[in-house]
Amino acid sequence: MIRFDGVSFTYSGADAPTLRNVDLEITEGELCLVVGTTGSGKSTFLRAMNGLVPNSTGGKLAGDVLVAGRSTRTHASRDLADVIGLVGQDPSASFVTDVVEDELAYTMENLGVAPQAMRRRVEDTLDLLGLHELRGRSLRSLSGGQQQRVAIGAVLTAAPRALVLDEPTSALDPAAAEEVLSSLSRLVHDVGLTVVIAEHRLERVLPFADRVVLVSGDGVPLRIGAPHEVMADSPVAPPLVELARLAGWHPVPLSVRDARRVAAPLRARLATVTRVERERPVSGPDAAPVAVLARASYSYGDVHALHDVGLSFNRGEIMALMGRNGSGKSTLLSLLAGARRPSAGSVRVGGESPASLSPRRLVKAVGLVPQDAQLLLYCETVAEECRTSDKESGLTEGVTRRVLDGILPGMPPDRHPRDLSEGQRLALALAVVLAHEPPLLLLDEPTRGLDYPSKARLEGVLAGLAAEGTSVVVATHDVELVARVADRAVLLADGEVVADGAARDVICHSPVFAPQVAKVLAPDPWLTVDEVRRALAGTDQLVEQS
Amino acid sequence: MRSPTPGRARRALHPAAWWAWSAGLATAAIETTNPVLLALIAAVVVYVVATRRSTAPWSRSLVVFLRLGLVVIAIRVVIEVLFGDRLPGHVMFSLPRASLPSWAAGVSIGGPVTVESVLETFNAGLRLAVVLLAFGAANSLANPYRLLRCLPAVLYEAGVAVTVALTYAPELVTTIGQVREARRLRGRPNRGLAGLRGMAVPVLEGALDRSLELASSMDSRGYGRRGAATSARRRATFLTGAGAVLVLVGVYVVLNASTPWGLGAATLLAGACSLAGGAVLSGRRAQRTRYRPEPWRRPEWLVAASGAAVVAVFSIAGALGVGGLQVSFPPLSTPPIPILVCLGILIGLVPSLVTPTGAPRPSDPSMEAVRPRDVAAVEPT
Amino acid sequence: MSRVRRVGVAVRLTTRASVLLAVASLLGLAAFCWPLLVHAQSGVNAAHSADAPWIFVALLPLLLAIVLGEIAEGSLDAKAVALLGILAACGAALRVPSPGIDGFEPMWFLLILSGRVLGRGFGFVLGALTLFASALVTGGVGPWLPFQMLGAAWMGFGAACLPRASGKPEIALLAAYAMVASLLYGALLNLWFWPFGAGTTTSFSYVSGGGLLGNLHRFVFYDLTTSLGFDIPRAVTNAVLIVALGRPVLGALRRASRRAVFEPIVELDDDATSQSLDDRTPASPAP
Repeated sequence: MIRFDGVSFTYSGADAPTLRNVDLEITEGELCLVVGTTGSGKSTFLRAMNGLVPNSTGGKLAGDVLVAGRSTRTHASRDLADVIGLVGQDPSASFVTDVVEDELAYTMENLGVAPQAMRRRVEDTLDLLGLHELRGRSLRSLSGGQQQRVAIGAVLTAAPRALVLDEPTSALDPAAAEEVLSSLSRLVHDVGLTVVIAEHRLERVLPFADRVVLVSGDGVPLRIGAPHEVMADSPVAPPLVELARLAGWHPVPLSVRDARRVAAPLRARLATVTRVERERPVSGPDAAPVAVLARASYSYGDVHALHDVGLSFNRGEIMALMGRNGSGKSTLLSLLAGARRPSAGSVRVGGESPASLSPRRLVKAVGLVPQDAQLLLYCETVAEECRTSDKESGLTEGVTRRVLDGILPGMPPDRHPRDLSEGQRLALALAVVLAHEPPLLLLDEPTRGLDYPSKARLEGVLAGLAAEGTSVVVATHDVELVARVADRAVLLADGEVVADGAARDVICHSPVFAPQVAKVLAPDPWLTVDEVRRALAGTDQLVEQS
Repeated sequence: MRSPTPGRARRALHPAAWWAWSAGLATAAIETTNPVLLALIAAVVVYVVATRRSTAPWSRSLVVFLRLGLVVIAIRVVIEVLFGDRLPGHVMFSLPRASLPSWAAGVSIGGPVTVESVLETFNAGLRLAVVLLAFGAANSLANPYRLLRCLPAVLYEAGVAVTVALTYAPELVTTIGQVREARRLRGRPNRGLAGLRGMAVPVLEGALDRSLELASSMDSRGYGRRGAATSARRRATFLTGAGAVLVLVGVYVVLNASTPWGLGAATLLAGACSLAGGAVLSGRRAQRTRYRPEPWRRPEWLVAASGAAVVAVFSIAGALGVGGLQVSFPPLSTPPIPILVCLGILIGLVPSLVTPTGAPRPSDPSMEAVRPRDVAAVEPT
Repeated sequence: MSRVRRVGVAVRLTTRASVLLAVASLLGLAAFCWPLLVHAQSGVNAAHSADAPWIFVALLPLLLAIVLGEIAEGSLDAKAVALLGILAACGAALRVPSPGIDGFEPMWFLLILSGRVLGRGFGFVLGALTLFASALVTGGVGPWLPFQMLGAAWMGFGAACLPRASGKPEIALLAAYAMVASLLYGALLNLWFWPFGAGTTTSFSYVSGGGLLGNLHRFVFYDLTTSLGFDIPRAVTNAVLIVALGRPVLGALRRASRRAVFEPIVELDDDATSQSLDDRTPASPAP
């Protein structure tokens, strides 16, 4: 179906090839998962299938990529649109029209499909992806998951035989990701489509994959094989696989169900060992909270985003704010950051209302890293960003750069911030915010688009901050992050607090929010692979903190 | 407002039909200077808009154009009062003459202001105002988004670019708000030139990055597929070239004194037709199809024909020399009212009687795209 | 099989497109300047000479459509179209605060800078499309629109014709161009409105057969009294915006132009195709 014959590709002006001697074949009707860290060449590999590389980006291509018999050397991506389709990460950036139905039909209009056939195919696609109720809606009014499904449908109406997706679920919450992935699975099984999908959050896709391609970059050749083989020693692995490696399970189980079948001996062994909690200095009961929400409500128009919320945020504590899209997480963060005033009740940060603070005092009281970290950055190079941050905020020179080096050493100073990877950009945004050393740090969906090493680095930074006494609030869907880092978890639904307690208690037994390790080892309350590893290592000091 | 006949759903008219109708009425207004006829045309326009407009945001354009027309009349009259050529007539009042330096010779300010000159100018301004009113009617009644979908094939790429622009403009506004909020979080000023720079650059860079993603998505979806060049292209080139030459010649003839006007007009018309033919032929090269094209059925024919009929009435009346079409004011008298021409203008009321039936197209972006409720429903969480 | 190397341009003007552009510009100039050029008419011709503006109102959209179509046919690929659309949206959004036909119109600075970075063809099309998009957004498609589109298109084209410069001299050059071009644009549009605003019976009006200089003299007076109050603030606003924001905006546009890789150079290396299929890296068979 898709064949790479000795393909090497170098971008114009780059010194080293991005793809080197790639030889593989993806057969018809399989779901192929592409894994690799950021910057390893995954995107280039995917775009080479579709013809965008090299015909749209320029560069030097050796070898041949054949898609359904057509070579990308002689066919531009527009000529391949009827055999292969590409779906990107941000669906709203790929929409040409404003209505669902017109967007679905756009591809067919370009290809010159007859009008009767167009009507039929649009109806079929609407049914296949569950979009028929949305047919006349404006694209901007749809949720993230619906938009992504429309983007997939827009490519699907051309009736291609293969579909390539570049991180389709990275911007979605778990429920929306589930919708998209189950649609894809149905496409593979019922329609017989070949699907190639690249993802960072492997735990979502691994159970569906037929084969896995590991892209390591740095000249290491691509590896393709059955999932359990490739995952056995892949540097990029979900917590389930790490647990399997720790416990020595062969073959590596890929889903929670498979893991539970072989988990009995491990559970028996763990039953005898006391759990070792991570060390965390918790502020005493008399310490005043850094911020307090008292019966806070916020509404705009007919929508009640928050209703009667009461929370207190303590020093040195990492709190996870969870809930589906629309439950009020971002609104709560914006209330704390002073971007909005509560319609009722009060918000106090350091004893004062943040909305009434001047910008200068606000940055010293609370720091917020928004979902799109790029919004905070506006200079042309990393070095200039640090310099401007120092200058405009009255800090001594070099403070921001030092903080940045502490988070992520080795950032190239002359790189444009928009050319940085997600992890690097997050580090830069964090540095800019943390240079003021605010006692309260807010993060809105920081792990979106991050690969595992970047996530681990972020977790280290947050743990370090909490150890120094900063109060951290993370609004996130990423349960693995919550399991590894959070002390406390708050669940929001429909603008109200549904649960508020220790992270372990809140997430461990929930079917929606439990991390993979907890699901495998249920009902025993284990959250992370590190905990299991520490327990098995059997330290002498059995420290148990409540 | 007229309600649809029970049992028959109502769909919106093809936007080109509205433009054809209003172009007809505008052309009719150009051909006359009789204030009574002009007022009648204006009344017809206003009536049709009142009965047939929707609740979409652009339906308020008529009022804007009405105000504009009044402003034009006012400007015209004021300039005439201050600077007009002083011709004899009934004097209304007199302005003091001002003496201007020598380099301003030829321009005279002040002097007696006659009723005839004011009325004449008012008439000319009224004509322009009625033309503007016709344009305003087309703006109010024709859906601009659907108009973009109806563009001829030669303008397809430009149409796509404008569609992208219209789709992206509301997101731009959202991004500006987000950037402003983020800057406040960073303790940055939002005012002054520094604030402007800090806001303009992220917004622009975000927009530019997004355009590149859009481009690769469009490429992946087959944009720009082209059939093989055929002999139609050579014919198209010939027609376009001939049309260009004819139009140039026609313009020269029209502006020149020695040649008859009819010849110039005929050359221009031939040139325009040739250009249009070349455009149609070159548009055939692309192998695109249209999904659910806007229907053009009997109601559209009737509406367009009514506009053409009004023009025909005026042309015939002009050719036959019917009195009362051209009115000038040195003879100060009430203008004549040619009855038949008035009846001809009333044909322009046809659109308010013709109700197109058929299922309203569900994906009508007019309502969906601009409903504030939908925008508010997109939670920032 | 390697393709011809050339520097990538966003919108490349073919010979046909250039010729049509020249013709349209000539006719556009005639459409604007006809009061200055018209000869004395007599008899029947005199009655019809007042129809000239309306002829141009009908003719100019057709010409513009032909030119835009011709430019688009050869060289508007997906990248150019997407960039045009997004920049037109930015320009239209900038125009919203200033209402109607006249006003501050800060959008010109973006048009001038885009034309400077992205070339002549792009600047021409961007000018026309920005005005069209903003007219659609505000519901103001009037008889002035084709003339505004042509004037804006000329402004974008002209910005790309400026001599090479970089750094502060470039900003100064662009700011000076912004002032001159804005004033010219205002004068041209005023020239269009002149017959409507002043008719033929005032001492301000054009005179058929009055000769170019005589009519120009009258027009300058008309311009001074009516629209200079709008033109000068517009020129100053745009020049100030270029001075204040020119450097970062030019940087952003140049970066986008680089990343877009217009007219990409694709080198296809033929040596590796000789590798046979049997030498493939062995992979596990698909389940």
